[in-house]
Amino acid sequence: MDMELEREEVLSAIHHCVKCKLCSIASFHPREEWLPLCPSGQFYGYQAFYAPGKMEIFRAILEGEITEPSEGLLNAVYACTVCGACYEKCKQITSVELGAPDLFEAMRHELASKGWILDVHKNIVEKIKETRNAYGEKYEYKTKSSDENADILYYIGCTARYRVPEIADAMLGIFDKIGIKYQVMDEEWCCGSVLIRTGQVEAAKELVAHNVEEIKRSGAKTIVFTCPGCLKTFEKNYPDMGVELVHSTQFLLRQRNMNLKKEDLKAAYHDPCHLGRDLGIYEEPRAVLSEVADIKVMKREKEQAWCCGSGGGVKSAFDDFALWSATERLKEAKEAGAEALVSACPFCKRNLKEAAEKEEIKVYDVVELVNRCLEG
Amino acid sequence: MDEMVSRLVKELQAIVGEENATDDRAICTSYSRDQHWHFVPAKNPACVVRPANKEEVRKVLMLANTHKIPVIPYSTGINVRGLTIPVHDGSILLDLSRMNRILEINPEMKTATIEPGVTFGMLLEQTRKYKLRPAFPDAPLTVSVLVNYYLRGIYQTAATDGHDHTISYEMILPNGETLKTGSRALSRMPYFRYGVGPDFAGMFCAHPGTCGVVTELTAKLYRLYDNRKEYFIGFDDVATPTELIYNLMNDELAASIRLVDNQSWLKGIFGTFDYPYEELPKFVLCVLVEGVDGVFEAKDTLVRAYMKECGGEVLDLPAEFATTFEHESLGGAEKSCMVFGIKGRGNYHCIGLYGPLTLAAKYYEVHERTALEVGIPKDHVHFYLDPIYSFHGQLCYFELDVFYDGSDPGFGAKLRNYNERQFHKLLDLGIYGWFRPYAGIIEPTVERIGYLAEVWKKFLRVLDPNEIMNRGKLF
Ligand SMILES: Cc1cc2nc3c(=O)[nH]c(=O)nc-3n(C[C@H](O)[C@H](O)[C@H](O)COP(=O)(O)OP(=O)(O)OC[C@H]3O[C@@H](n4cnc5c(N)ncnc54)[C@H](O)[C@@H]3O)c2cc1C
Ligand code: SF4
Ligand code: SF4
Repeated sequence: MDMELEREEVLSAIHHCVKCKLCSIASFHPREEWLPLCPSGQFYGYQAFYAPGKMEIFRAILEGEITEPSEGLLNAVYACTVCGACYEKCKQITSVELGAPDLFEAMRHELASKGWILDVHKNIVEKIKETRNAYGEKYEYKTKSSDENADILYYIGCTARYRVPEIADAMLGIFDKIGIKYQVMDEEWCCGSVLIRTGQVEAAKELVAHNVEEIKRSGAKTIVFTCPGCLKTFEKNYPDMGVELVHSTQFLLRQRNMNLKKEDLKAAYHDPCHLGRDLGIYEEPRAVLSEVADIKVMKREKEQAWCCGSGGGVKSAFDDFALWSATERLKEAKEAGAEALVSACPFCKRNLKEAAEKEEIKVYDVVELVNRCLEG
Repeated sequence: MDEMVSRLVKELQAIVGEENATDDRAICTSYSRDQHWHFVPAKNPACVVRPANKEEVRKVLMLANTHKIPVIPYSTGINVRGLTIPVHDGSILLDLSRMNRILEINPEMKTATIEPGVTFGMLLEQTRKYKLRPAFPDAPLTVSVLVNYYLRGIYQTAATDGHDHTISYEMILPNGETLKTGSRALSRMPYFRYGVGPDFAGMFCAHPGTCGVVTELTAKLYRLYDNRKEYFIGFDDVATPTELIYNLMNDELAASIRLVDNQSWLKGIFGTFDYPYEELPKFVLCVLVEGVDGVFEAKDTLVRAYMKECGGEVLDLPAEFATTFEHESLGGAEKSCMVFGIKGRGNYHCIGLYGPLTLAAKYYEVHERTALEVGIPKDHVHFYLDPIYSFHGQLCYFELDVFYDGSDPGFGAKLRNYNERQFHKLLDLGIYGWFRPYAGIIEPTVERIGYLAEVWKKFLRVLDPNEIMNRGKLF
């Protein structure tokens, strides 16, 4: 976002925040339960960590009142999962025109352009430069295209390659079991999501250009993503390549030849922020999950889902906060009577799984369950 | 200055723990402005401190008093009047939101005892288990119950609740002393307002600012009835419905009685922007009847009889509108905040005042006239009337509203101009009082109250000789 051009628009949106703080809780009626919605505000407590406080900080930066970075500034800005829950609530009430996640990303961009950025996020740029993946891993997740000319390309993403390979394994397993030919990219680079979400937009450009080139060369017609963060980045930050972009659950829902054996499992579905609030994909994952497990409904779902706590660069910089947020979600799933919490995002799975070490509940990605239930 | 603040923060951290006190510029900035910024400009506190309990509050106040440092208590900060925006450089912002325990719900006594961080939503979640509810303001249910009652708000969602919901409270003064009001001073039973001597609970509350820090408060709770019925009656002017309002109040028939125009609060009461409101009559009277079996039916019959002869049009509206009205009235306001979205990008300005029902049409007339004089377009001018039980003096709350684009500084200037004229005009016309005195409105008012102003000033000096408490920009 070019801040010079859009400064007025940003300020105008900030001035429309009336500090009612309704964005800090899920819709109260008709359930009449007090359910927090903003992980960062709930964890840190100071006004700066809620949406209205962050907007005030952004105003002060744009109006030249804040001229240098401070620990509190960096924490308030970067210890936000940019989950967008605040905006979903706010827009019902105020009908504001510019969403908080857009504002917060613009704020990060503004900060990053001044060099006000956390070391751990800066280091990601170096890691990516060196290894082309966000984790700086030097080994490779080994896999091969089943058909170099297949129409389907599976974009695996850094997290499924290097942190939760069971998701990539499961997706590839499904392709094989249902007889779908697929390509994977030999030269898959990080999609750039983590850089863009942390305001380092410039550094992402090279990654975008490379991936676009590779995808064009592949001749694929459809790209399947198990990572909603990658999917969102392709949808919003990549040029139109004339290729269809689909999430794994959308793709699975189209498959008519899946012979699924439903498990005796009570599972709650956790909406990943990028998939739900950002891309509006709520129903497909539920439809797929209902084929393999009994769904238990949690109190905060869909637009008002509680974030798992790992997005927006939070996992890498504020792990204690990320794990607290995940634990809150696991407790909610257990309260709903679920034996497993199922998501559709490797980021969510990783964080929830780590938190689940102390909670008695299983954590899966929906593709893992599908792969397990497919009678191949 | 910076060094002094750093030293202060160290001392505060010794009281509340390191992570609960800070002078970080950005953190302080997040408390620098509220929705009233066209009238009270942004100003940072020097530091923010977040105590967990009374003893920490006491220590913070004593420290501030020793060094004569201004303190701004802040419970949820949603007061819409710039009340927590510092006046003086070097202020401590005392964020009480960590103190959010419900200390007691006593269904037999119909009371709740709460700390400052308890919101209306949090409280109702618990009280409804006993079929009880607090009296609700038409404010977001994210606001502090304790502060709302301490400031003495307006509870138009259920007119039957009347005006005063505070029974007793405990307040820590700048010198560290604890002041207990009502029966709380005498016993462990905080359930009676008029314990010993004068009504101290009344004297210390409803200032434009505060005399000390209220750390717990016992409030009245009200019954939730299963029998409910809603009616919406349309009128073309403000004067005609006053007879119906009078009858409903005089016979004590309805819980909620709100007269609103068809373009503002009605959207929140109905919970949607998406309805051809312009096709409704200009003013709509929203009525909610409730009660126990037998009484409810009797009330309902009488209400319907009065409606027949009221000169208005009984509106046939979608059923979900009645449900939302019920939720917003008896379960805490949430959609009401849609008034902020009215112009698509809202902010709202209102002058809230108490006066007799007999002056309703006059208040509306002067509102419209002054707005037009200062260049506020007619379609930005809105109105809200709510009678208050037990209706002595035909007591009503009136809200002269203007909804506008908050990002438009030009509109802010018009509103300041409007205020300057309107405060005087309304005082000349005759009002009972302002809904909550605040900066801007209080100055022209104290000029008119004679020796009472002197006494008021002296009273505050006795409680707070070093003038450290947030005075609400008064004296
Ligand atoms: C859309 C909207 C509609 C509203 N409608 C109504 C309405 O219909 N009726 C109504 O009554 N109100 C209404 N309000 C105002 C709001 O409800 C009250 O002002 C609110 O309860 C007080 O604000 P707060 O709780 O956030 O307190 P704060 O903003 O935290 O504090 C307000 C004042 O109280 C002082 N204070 C804070 N905590 C303490 C304490 N513990 N001890 C002593 N002093 C303290 C502060 O210094 C400040 O002067 C509305 C607000 C909005 C946004
Ligand atoms: S709900 Fe919207 S207007 Fe209200 S505080 Fe949150 S961001 Fe601001
Ligand atoms: S984006 Fe999420 S974490 Fe950030 S302020 Fe909004 S609700 Fe809170």
